[in-house]
Amino acid sequence: MTMETTMADKTDFTKYQKKDDQSTAGVAQNGTMIHELKERVKELNCFYRITKIIRNSKLSIDEALQEIVKVIPPAWQYPEITCVRIYLEGREFKTDNFQQTEWKLDSRIVVDEKKIGVLEVFYLEEQPQANEGPFLTEERKLIDAISDLLSKFIEERRIKEELERQRQKLDYVEKMMKAEGDTTLRFRSQEKKQDWEVILDLLAKTDPRTLLRLTRKMAYHLYRMENEKITNLLNKISPVDNDSAAINWRNVNTPNQREELNTFLTIQKQVFEIAKDSIPADVISTLFANWMKQDKARPLLLMSQKTGIPLVEITAELNRFFDQEDVESSISPEDKMSIKTALIRRFFAERLEYVNVAKTAFELKDFVGIADHIVGPAQGSGKLGGKASGVLLAEKLIKEEMKKNPMLKNISFPTSWYITSDTILSFIHYNDLDEVSHVKYLDPLEIRQEQSFLEHIFKNSTFPFEIVEGLRKIVRDFKDKPVIVRSSSLLEDNFGYAFSGKYKSLFVPNKGGTEEERLKSLINAITEVYASTFSPDPIEYRRERGLLDFNEEMGILIQEVVGSQVGPYFMPTFAGVAFSRNEFRWSPRITREDGMIRIVPGLGTRAVDRVSNDYPILISPKRPNLLVNTLVEERVKYSPRFMDVINTDTGMIETVDAVQVFKKYFDELPKITDIVSIHDHGRLTNASKILMDPENADIVITFQHLFEKTDFLEKIKQILSLLEEKIGVPVDVEFASSGNQLYILQCRPQSQSQGIERKPVPKDIQEERKIFFTKKYVTTGNIDNIEYIVYVVPEEYTNLSKREQMLKVAKIISELNVKLPRRKFILIGPGRWGSKGDIKLGVPVRYGDINNCSLMVEIAKEKGGYTPELSFGTHFFQDLVESNIRYLPLYPDQEDNLFNEQILLDMDNKLSKILQGYKNFEHVVKVISISDILPGGTLSVIMDGEANEALAYLRPSDHLTWRTMKIEEITQALDPDLYGIQGMYLIGSTKDGSAGPTSDIDLLVHFNGTEEQKDKLMAWFDEWGKKLAIENKERTGFVTDALLDVHIITDEDIKKKSSWASHITSPYQTVRKLALKKDH
Amino acid sequence: MQAKQELKREKGTTGVFRKEKEGFNPFKMAQQQFDRIADQLDLDEQTRDLLRSPLREYSFSIPIRMDDGRIKVFRGFRVQHNDARGPCKGGIRFHPQETQDTVRALSMWMTWKCSVADIPLGGGKGGIICDPHNLSETEQEKLCRGWVRQIARDIGPVRDVPAPDVMTSGQHMLWIMDEYETIMGGQYPGLITGKPVELGGSRGRTEATGYGIIYILRELLKEMKMDITKTTTSIQGFGNVARYSAELFIQYGGTVVSVSCWDQAENQTYSYYKKTGIKLDELIKITDRFGTIDKRQAEKLGYEVRPGDDWLKQEVDILIPAALEHSITEENVNQIKPQVKIIICGANGPVTPEAEDILEKKGVVVIPDFLANAGGVVCSYFEQVQSNQNYYWTKEEVLGKLDNKMTDAFYKVWELSKRKKIRVSDAAYMIAISRVAEACKMRGWV
Repeated sequence: MTMETTMADKTDFTKYQKKDDQSTAGVAQNGTMIHELKERVKELNCFYRITKIIRNSKLSIDEALQEIVKVIPPAWQYPEITCVRIYLEGREFKTDNFQQTEWKLDSRIVVDEKKIGVLEVFYLEEQPQANEGPFLTEERKLIDAISDLLSKFIEERRIKEELERQRQKLDYVEKMMKAEGDTTLRFRSQEKKQDWEVILDLLAKTDPRTLLRLTRKMAYHLYRMENEKITNLLNKISPVDNDSAAINWRNVNTPNQREELNTFLTIQKQVFEIAKDSIPADVISTLFANWMKQDKARPLLLMSQKTGIPLVEITAELNRFFDQEDVESSISPEDKMSIKTALIRRFFAERLEYVNVAKTAFELKDFVGIADHIVGPAQGSGKLGGKASGVLLAEKLIKEEMKKNPMLKNISFPTSWYITSDTILSFIHYNDLDEVSHVKYLDPLEIRQEQSFLEHIFKNSTFPFEIVEGLRKIVRDFKDKPVIVRSSSLLEDNFGYAFSGKYKSLFVPNKGGTEEERLKSLINAITEVYASTFSPDPIEYRRERGLLDFNEEMGILIQEVVGSQVGPYFMPTFAGVAFSRNEFRWSPRITREDGMIRIVPGLGTRAVDRVSNDYPILISPKRPNLLVNTLVEERVKYSPRFMDVINTDTGMIETVDAVQVFKKYFDELPKITDIVSIHDHGRLTNASKILMDPENADIVITFQHLFEKTDFLEKIKQILSLLEEKIGVPVDVEFASSGNQLYILQCRPQSQSQGIERKPVPKDIQEERKIFFTKKYVTTGNIDNIEYIVYVVPEEYTNLSKREQMLKVAKIISELNVKLPRRKFILIGPGRWGSKGDIKLGVPVRYGDINNCSLMVEIAKEKGGYTPELSFGTHFFQDLVESNIRYLPLYPDQEDNLFNEQILLDMDNKLSKILQGYKNFEHVVKVISISDILPGGTLSVIMDGEANEALAYLRPSDHLTWRTMKIEEITQALDPDLYGIQGMYLIGSTKDGSAGPTSDIDLLVHFNGTEEQKDKLMAWFDEWGKKLAIENKERTGFVTDALLDVHIITDEDIKKKSSWASHITSPYQTVRKLALKKDH
Repeated sequence: MQAKQELKREKGTTGVFRKEKEGFNPFKMAQQQFDRIADQLDLDEQTRDLLRSPLREYSFSIPIRMDDGRIKVFRGFRVQHNDARGPCKGGIRFHPQETQDTVRALSMWMTWKCSVADIPLGGGKGGIICDPHNLSETEQEKLCRGWVRQIARDIGPVRDVPAPDVMTSGQHMLWIMDEYETIMGGQYPGLITGKPVELGGSRGRTEATGYGIIYILRELLKEMKMDITKTTTSIQGFGNVARYSAELFIQYGGTVVSVSCWDQAENQTYSYYKKTGIKLDELIKITDRFGTIDKRQAEKLGYEVRPGDDWLKQEVDILIPAALEHSITEENVNQIKPQVKIIICGANGPVTPEAEDILEKKGVVVIPDFLANAGGVVCSYFEQVQSNQNYYWTKEEVLGKLDNKMTDAFYKVWELSKRKKIRVSDAAYMIAISRVAEACKMRGWV
């Protein structure tokens, strides 16, 4: 690939050279310019080598010339077929492959205006015609420059030899030279030019641009040395306004005057004069050598600065750069940084926070390795996406730390491949699937319908050949190891949105089958992940955040699955997610900063997602002693029972009974004793493996040994703090262990983790809209659209005189839990929800009695100077976590906290309307409908753990929700048979979701009744429209006409596709069909 | 302890003052119950005064250095209600808002329980105000050891014998025992009960409560002239007590038609019914760690899965509530079929007093909890005896001795109840209280 590209570029270059002159190089196309620069570098290298040879005074003229012929061919366009000969006063110096041909370029060597020899360059084979035979204009210039250099060299050598002869003759001369070195130097420099001056002369002839660059660098070098002369010189040509005088005569807003570059060229002589006076000759030579070496990185630098550069070019350029010798050390730190930054932007992310961290973490060399694992359209310019960028950065940071920190040894990273984000576009175009981009603008219902069809289409489409070949490389690399195909969204890295869990991640077992078959299943997985881009959930999520118009290009990260084969299953010994912030504190003694780990046996899927019928083990890496479950029976109850594994026989992910599998394959799973304990007579023990009888033992997965006897927690703790410190934000890290080796699989800012996006508490809420506000033990999470508050009045509860009455309160809660809309109500109550022993401390509910609420609030009111301890949901903590029911403690008597209890006490209690027979408990249990407090409104609870603030406030319904609600009312009230209605559709702003405060509700009515019915219908709608306008005015203060805009269409209209009917008939417009009564 | 009547806050619209009234107080209730029995026994004033309140109450501070280096002071206590018949016996509990009154009530209840089972032990209870959920294991160990250091002189195998209770386990008992032995300089496994079998525990403890229930039931059926092999029962629950009751009952030839359990996944209870009688082995095989029976598999095995409260609606001779308190209340007591003759209380407080009144009118014999489930405390007594002797019995030996104890205890109560035509629970209380009163008299205390 690389070779082909180089050749292709070269042909372009020659073509271009035929037409144009070198002076226009500055405006040449990108590719050719780069190529041309490379040629320049070749020439400079040649010069540099020649001067090096010449400087070596140990070599005789003949020896030097023999060396010089060898370094000339690489500067030519076709080095492999170039040979060189120097003729000098009867002597001949030539390259090994020398052969005279008809394709020749020569230049005379002249000393004292006499031709004493000739430099000849031959091509051994015929090459396309260029300027001078097959030779380029530059090559003519070059050969002349070299012969010039040789002439000077020979002349100098002869003078030197002459001097030497004289020195031998005249002792006093020798003495004088030794005694007065300074004089000698002056004498010498007057006599002959320094090496660097020779280079300058050459450059002046062949490559003025490079010379200009050197001049600039020298000027800057001198400027940095605070050389007064150079400052004066620079000020003369272009004054900068660091002195007040400059400001006086120029308007501040006009740019500083600037001289043409050519002017800079004219001061070149002066710059080097200054240099010569202030810097020793050998230092200048070294500087030159370094600068010219640095030019090796120039093509890379230039290319990386461009936008949209094709993948193939970057890869080729990176490889070419590193193919050169000794490059890393020669590139200037500024250039290196600049290239790195550019590459980071190009591949990873534009986000400044990311770039800032990444640019110091990554070495240039790292990109070679990364580029080798990228698959994408060769001419494409896609990125790797957020997930890949995150894990690559984490890998680099951890690896760096591993060198110094012995604790972090033995951490590995799975082999990974990356598919660039534009591959999905190339896939779509290649298969003519362009119409899919409209999917996201469809109605959610329609998207849902279209989704499975889309997946089908995607799976039956093919990738362009180049991608297929790239994927084949991946398949070969992974051989028969199972892999996981993960989405790596661009939105994630660019905007910091949490897309985790929105797109699919798929396992490919990769077992058995031919390479073709495995390639097929990999492609299958990738297309399915692609199709998930267009599934309703992420689209809805994007719609809500105004990201719909952003073209979601999605990168793919393909990772090796870590683990071992155990019977028919492949799985890691354990896996999980570690969070540097603990958003589920189970004890007030745990701070957010203590972090949290969710860990499970087998694949990490069960730790990443919430699982309803099982419990991952939760532990805080900084407070491992404070367990979620302290009692043995709790620890047994809340231990993981199932695990996800890859069944390599069937190629499917299976959820299996973990304990049964462990019993069966006890000896096969590495380090199994790290994760299991034996439950025996009320104790959990960790006997040595040899004494265990897994068949008959009660095996419980506790991870006890892993936590207590290994350095796992310490490792995770250090990784979390390292990443948090370097990246600058709290992170979450996915890990897996093969038993002996801990692997880091993913890393991303915790703010992007599923379900715990941070949202700050709004500051502009009116006092009377606030229900409670607290600043203690807040964890992050938001709950919207709450319709009911169930409030158990603490004083009244404590006052109940009988135990039975308290149990009755629990029963009421349990019944409300079934009757109230799921996740639309919150519970507020005294002390410890779920109290078992002394039920005075809190309502003795079980988890099943509250499992439909969305938030559980515990109130600790001060009593005689002391505040009761709260439970933090202890009694069913893990159940709450797994079903995402949030918990919040409330201390109303503490400063800054607020609890607007009065509003709850004053409002109409709905208890008896919802449940029969609890009249006596109305003073204890209050059921408040939010819309009683604020018509049409809902309650939102914003919990911001970062700021340790939570606010529950009443939110008026937004325009869209209100309209949707009203449409529902209308369809409920409308009798379609009575008015002859065939169907009804929603169009316009309400359907699009863009309705404002005064927007009409546009309805399309498919009508097939009589005229009389039509009149009635219109009157009916008119009535509604007026009613809604009044309601809307109360809501918003805006006065409008009737709020309904009804368009009647008939069968005839539909047949003719006349104006309004076109909404239903046209494939370019969408409508939402409304469910009418008879449809039920 | 109770807050004085205090004006809390004005209630908005109605203008009514909301007062913190004296709410539910377990000690007061225990005293009321005692007074009622004492009236019937016609106990003298001095004995009443002695028995209405604990003999001794210890309350002390336990300073602990926490994991983070800070010192935190916890409150510990021990209440010894009465030790006239033998060393006090009772649990030690960890509870975040333990109240003195709860512990007092529980210690009194232990006195009666030991007495009705006729074992030579008195009643005690103790604990530490703490939430173990907020403590690491090392902190809990320090707490246990700190508790012993404060009370070591006043407990011991011949004074007061603690046991596990709410939020404490065998591990806590071993820490307590170890600290005590360190202080006393000797081996004293008899200090504490609830130890693992490997370190001074008794065999047969898991079975004890369930078997004890059936030993009593067996004798009761004989008395009621019912052939145990022809009786049927429905059991609430499927935990330890329920399972071992069922095991022994089936072993005696009876038929268990229904058990019930909590379904962890669905968050509700179900009853599992089989007319021909459940088979314990097959049900245990399909039961998970949460005690949830797999519904589908149960159906395959021929069980009918019914709503959770269905267990009490069965046409059986005997009901054994062995799961939750307040399972039989005024509201559902009438759903019990007329065929039911006996309710034997495996759980604590499964029948509310109101329901018991109704049942009495219906002629249903209710065996009270503190007699029926005394098997547990009898086995603890055996553990202590074995520990003191440093000689441990086989399981058969333990269960055989348990049978004798329970049978004797039952007949004493049954005889009184028959003779005086009083409720079994009243008879049980009378016997328990009179035994303690008698011991006090014999010692010359009153």
